[in-house]
Amino acid sequence: MSNIEFKKDVIIVGTGIAGSLIAKLLTDHVFDTEKGKMVYRAEVDHPENVRELSILMYEAGLEAGLELDSSSSLTTYNEYIRKFYMEEAKVPNSPYPNLKQAPSPDVLDMEKIIPPFPDKKGYLVQFGPMPFASDAIRIGGGTTLHWLGTTPRMLPNDFRLTEKYGIEINKPDSEVKTPINWPIDYDALKPYYEMAEFEIGVSGNVAAQEYPISESMEEYYGKDYVFPMDEIPQSYMDQKIINGLAGTCVQLNFEEFPLTMVPSPQGRNSTPNPAYGKAKIIKANSTDSGYKLSLNNIENEEYKALGSVWNPYMGERCEGNASCVPICPVQAKYNALKTLKKALYKFNKNENLQKHKFISVQAQSVVYKLSVDQANQEKISKIHLRRYISKEKTDFVEEVVDTSDSIVILAANAFENPKILLNSKYTVIENGQKVEKTVANRSDQVGRNLMDHMVMLTWGLFPEPIYSYRGPGSTTNISSFRDGNFRSEFSAWISPLDNWGWSWPAFSPGSDISEFLGQGLFGAELKEALAYRLSRQVLLHFEIEQLPNPNNRVTINDQYLDALGIPRPVINYELTEYEMKAMEQAKLASDQMFKRLNIEDFTKYTEADKNTFIYNNVRYSYNGAGHIVGTHRMGDNADDSVTNSYCKSWDHPNLYIVGAGNMTTLGTSNPTLTLSAFTIRSVESILSDLENKFKN
Amino acid sequence: MIINKILNVDDYYYDVFMAISGTLTGFSANELQSTGLAETYYKHILGQIETATFLEFLNVSKSILENSFSQDQLRNAIQSEIMADPGMQDMSNNIITMWYLGTWEGTYVNELSYKESLVWTVMHAHPPGAKQPGFKSWAVQPVNSNS
Repeated sequence: MSNIEFKKDVIIVGTGIAGSLIAKLLTDHVFDTEKGKMVYRAEVDHPENVRELSILMYEAGLEAGLELDSSSSLTTYNEYIRKFYMEEAKVPNSPYPNLKQAPSPDVLDMEKIIPPFPDKKGYLVQFGPMPFASDAIRIGGGTTLHWLGTTPRMLPNDFRLTEKYGIEINKPDSEVKTPINWPIDYDALKPYYEMAEFEIGVSGNVAAQEYPISESMEEYYGKDYVFPMDEIPQSYMDQKIINGLAGTCVQLNFEEFPLTMVPSPQGRNSTPNPAYGKAKIIKANSTDSGYKLSLNNIENEEYKALGSVWNPYMGERCEGNASCVPICPVQAKYNALKTLKKALYKFNKNENLQKHKFISVQAQSVVYKLSVDQANQEKISKIHLRRYISKEKTDFVEEVVDTSDSIVILAANAFENPKILLNSKYTVIENGQKVEKTVANRSDQVGRNLMDHMVMLTWGLFPEPIYSYRGPGSTTNISSFRDGNFRSEFSAWISPLDNWGWSWPAFSPGSDISEFLGQGLFGAELKEALAYRLSRQVLLHFEIEQLPNPNNRVTINDQYLDALGIPRPVINYELTEYEMKAMEQAKLASDQMFKRLNIEDFTKYTEADKNTFIYNNVRYSYNGAGHIVGTHRMGDNADDSVTNSYCKSWDHPNLYIVGAGNMTTLGTSNPTLTLSAFTIRSVESILSDLENKFKN
Repeated sequence: MIINKILNVDDYYYDVFMAISGTLTGFSANELQSTGLAETYYKHILGQIETATFLEFLNVSKSILENSFSQDQLRNAIQSEIMADPGMQDMSNNIITMWYLGTWEGTYVNELSYKESLVWTVMHAHPPGAKQPGFKSWAVQPVNSNS
């Protein structure tokens, strides 16, 4: 065991989007000893008064994935692409190394659960009764390497489901009800959404957005707001569907829902929008009430799209590779390595990128436990990690790092953050009795409220060729069901139109070939049958909001350890009638739309599906969305939540927990943009803590 | 020795392989050649299965091709001599799948076999992650479609 003595100001666990955003924003600021304030790096008056922040990041993934100089990152990324080409099942994790030392949940490992026996084939130990259906990847850059890149904001009512629709959930292990409003509202988050849209590089058309909300689009986005880049063109298929559905309604529960087909904002490069103006920086200003971040123009520089990590001129615009999930070959799609590189490298006086000396990343390091110093305000005093030596071997070095003078930021994903916290036990004496406590878990909410969008898929054949399998995964969504009074009874949902045929539900085109070969087709007949079938395939998603549920949770158990002896996430997961009823309603909506479009329905849900249930005598099946959220929820009091709205632990003065796990509820938007917005906001609180630390 | 001769792609068996591949897939031999994989596939099959089994398939194919003088005759002969025989049909389906998907028994032959798999051509698309058609291409009817 080695005790690391060097003191860092900030320790960040995880190099995904949350950790990378914080690293980038912090490295852009320094402490001005004369002013006694944190200031933006380029605005320092006297360099001799600068105190740099020292930052150390840990990443469980391989070293190679974090070497971001041009030649190394190109080499590693090409290996990912080659692995993707050769994998038969091109699932989200397929391009990336599957490490025994830092295993990842994989959709290929998910199986039906027969209670009371868990499915423990993969990394997750799943007790169900429903398998949790989504994966993530532990790698430099995190799961943004295989996200689709869709970036809608949440809607104002998503933040106040109790206030608006009277929804309450049970407290842990109790029938007592508790509200599920967020500690911040949409307006508070709005400026940070703009910063997140800048950092990710969102393409979209504000004027074309249309949502079922009472706010006008001008109120929702702000007057004259535009996204950094123009809209990603809607697919040929989208246009055919829009032509067929525009101006029509769907009827549910005796209510008419006008269908609104909206071009999706996306974190993928298109053409910079001249109206967006200059290049920008995110900069902190000190105010009486603490630090405020804001987005500011750089006067002499036009906004440019940021291409790949190895060559900023590659991937400046989407090239239509149609493989966003699992990998964009040119990195026109945003991934967190782009932000991480901005943290690790800074421009020097000659405008050349140079490695920043005060931040480092230590890879192959699996953080698994935190220690607490009770004599010192319950500060996190140590972090414990296992550093493995090579890709092949499971030998590791145990390291313990003194963090008593550091700010610790857990930025692993929503399985890993609670896993680390739940593995961090300590004993205190209360009223003369020894009591065992868990780090950050006074509320008993750590690991609870695990959520995902339940993606019900419906598929069929369009009456004419719509030439699917082209373009980004989805370029249009139906926003009609994202909000409404029905939310007091069943989930809201968003319906992306899917550009990639039946590849997800039916494993097309391979399954179509097998089917036709099974019928004895060959030659011209086979070719015609395939052309007919594959050019008409339509797929709709119904991404159904799951409510927080204290029984849907990540726990740990000494029985289930990984190759390094670290607990694996143990999952309990179920659906409630709220979500099941939404799937019933979504299917009714799908049937009406299919009928109007003359789509021949091929949707089939069977008992063999992994996530399937019967509701009102009808079977429904669904998939995961990869939206793993909720396991360290933020809230406005310490009894009900793990962190405050700045992602700071209620229980420990030097601990932040960031990422999708902070989401109080899920809403109907893909979570990455929202988690980015509140993670950026958390930096304001971190800067205040750093100021206090440096002043003392 | 025929076993040695078949490994040589100059041998007439290679031409039989290409001709029957064309008939089975519905693509012209030129289109198959232009994948750059014809020789690779021929050798790959030889590496994967008993030479005698492949040889039997090629001999049957050769006789079908030599004795068919119209497309109808050819199709009927394939129906009766290949598709009606389970072993021959398996072989034929494997060959069709290799051209269409780039896989032999579920495994890609190499990276090129994925990129050049013909199913994407049939649907006027391209293999995901390769041969990208460019910005905005997905917003219009495919340029290579005749419909």
